[in-house]
Amino acid sequence: MCEYIIIAHLVYFVNSTLFTLFIDLVTIFLYITLSYYILCYNIFMRILALESSCDETALTILNAQADSLVLEKDQVYSQVDIHQQFGGVVPEVAARQHAETIIPLLSANIKSEEKVDYLAVTTGPGLITSLLLGVTAAKTLAYAKNTPLVTVNHMEGHIYSNWLSNDELVKNANKYFPSLVLIVSGGHTELVLMKGHGDYQLLGSTVDDAVGEAFDKVAKLLDLGYPGGPIVSQRANDGDCSIYDLPRPMINSGDYNFSFSGLKTAVLYTLERKKKINTEDVDNVCASFQNAVVDILVNKTMKAAQEFGVKSIMLAGGVAANNQLKESLQQEARIKDLPFFFPELKYSGDNAAMISVAAYYNILNKKNIISGKDLLSVAPQSNWQLFKK
Amino acid sequence: MQEFVTNNIKETNKVANDLATSLESGQLIALSGNLGAGKTVFVKALAVGLGISETITSPTFVLMKSYPVNYKQIKQLIHVDCYRLDASEDLADIGLQDFLDDPQTLVVIEWADKLDNLPKNNLINVKMEFLGQDKRKIVISSKLVG
Repeated sequence: MCEYIIIAHLVYFVNSTLFTLFIDLVTIFLYITLSYYILCYNIFMRILALESSCDETALTILNAQADSLVLEKDQVYSQVDIHQQFGGVVPEVAARQHAETIIPLLSANIKSEEKVDYLAVTTGPGLITSLLLGVTAAKTLAYAKNTPLVTVNHMEGHIYSNWLSNDELVKNANKYFPSLVLIVSGGHTELVLMKGHGDYQLLGSTVDDAVGEAFDKVAKLLDLGYPGGPIVSQRANDGDCSIYDLPRPMINSGDYNFSFSGLKTAVLYTLERKKKINTEDVDNVCASFQNAVVDILVNKTMKAAQEFGVKSIMLAGGVAANNQLKESLQQEARIKDLPFFFPELKYSGDNAAMISVAAYYNILNKKNIISGKDLLSVAPQSNWQLFKK
Repeated sequence: MQEFVTNNIKETNKVANDLATSLESGQLIALSGNLGAGKTVFVKALAVGLGISETITSPTFVLMKSYPVNYKQIKQLIHVDCYRLDASEDLADIGLQDFLDDPQTLVVIEWADKLDNLPKNNLINVKMEFLGQDKRKIVISSKLVG
């Protein structure tokens, strides 16, 4: 397009009067300014992202520019079926499954001659044996295709799942910073103050078990199967949360840390006392447990929102699928007149789409981009702590 | 073999603290007991006894966490949780063998009863049992060599 415009202008120049020359100069000026703007602020990029930090092997191709994020491809190859047999994540099984699925996933979604601008991969935190598969595939591909690789923190990915489900964040993110993010999953429970893209402060985290883990273990105590979260919250729907008076550990601790181990043990005590439990008891225990969890999470989140004067609240992580948690936070945020964002169900669990979006904002900030020989030293960081106190 | 019955968390913590003072590097502590028996509480108290200032959190999801230590010859604590592992699982798959072979590392494994291939030497078994409310039975037995 550029060439045509220049030729057209040359033709104009030859035949122009002074007036048309003036118009021409204005047009050229506008054209140059606009091109500069497009180059600097509205770069179109195609990013291929891989995620294999735990249960899921996933691939996404994202087409990103200033105010639009479009997923061209998005596939999750879940391993939950396999893990159900074992009641949890078995690392060796997980690694073997990633090894079996990652190449077919790549070849089904991208042709070898196809070009992407960036590759992205989760390098941590997660299970080392699972991470290794995604990291190895991504860095090999990056090296072979001579394409830069963005190393992405899995927790940052969860935060950016909100950008996938809320266009408003893509267009006007700065309006909502600082934002308070509650990240809740099988391995994490963290309250993070997000001051801007890539700028985080950890306000508090669990001192023992993560929320998702507590759901899983309560499901195990009640013999309900794996994964525990969806089953417990489904049973809670039919239960009465006022039947069992469970504790709210650390709710008044004066900081933003959490504790869920004692709550799990309180459920155990309740069951020991009852000895025989029927279906209705199980529903009531689930309802009482979920109510206690939501109480603690919402209470601490709203306290932090108040103290740090945030402009929005975000929810992220696998437990963001929990309806009672979403509804309670929504309600409290509305009372305080704060916008509340949460990811759609398909992006609350582990996926590669959130990794591609986090990669996009890392690229804009020129962070964690690796290319050339440096690619060879990219390795999984199973304990990568992105958020600092 | 030592057997303790503790009536509250404070007493449980004391048993763990006392064990910590007698520990040497290169040892392996195998913890067993059902959900809610107090295994993580025990490891937390053990860590306090070893002078670890970081908060010990459950390694259930990530399987293994490491903490720096400066106690006698012990330079690091590796906290493993086999809750999600299959009984026949080989620990080599999570890279544990390197730590077991390291003389400056103390390894603590929760749900160790799920493993059938634990080393026989330098092994301290801690069995915890829930007796009601905060009451626990703790049995410590060790096979130490050298």
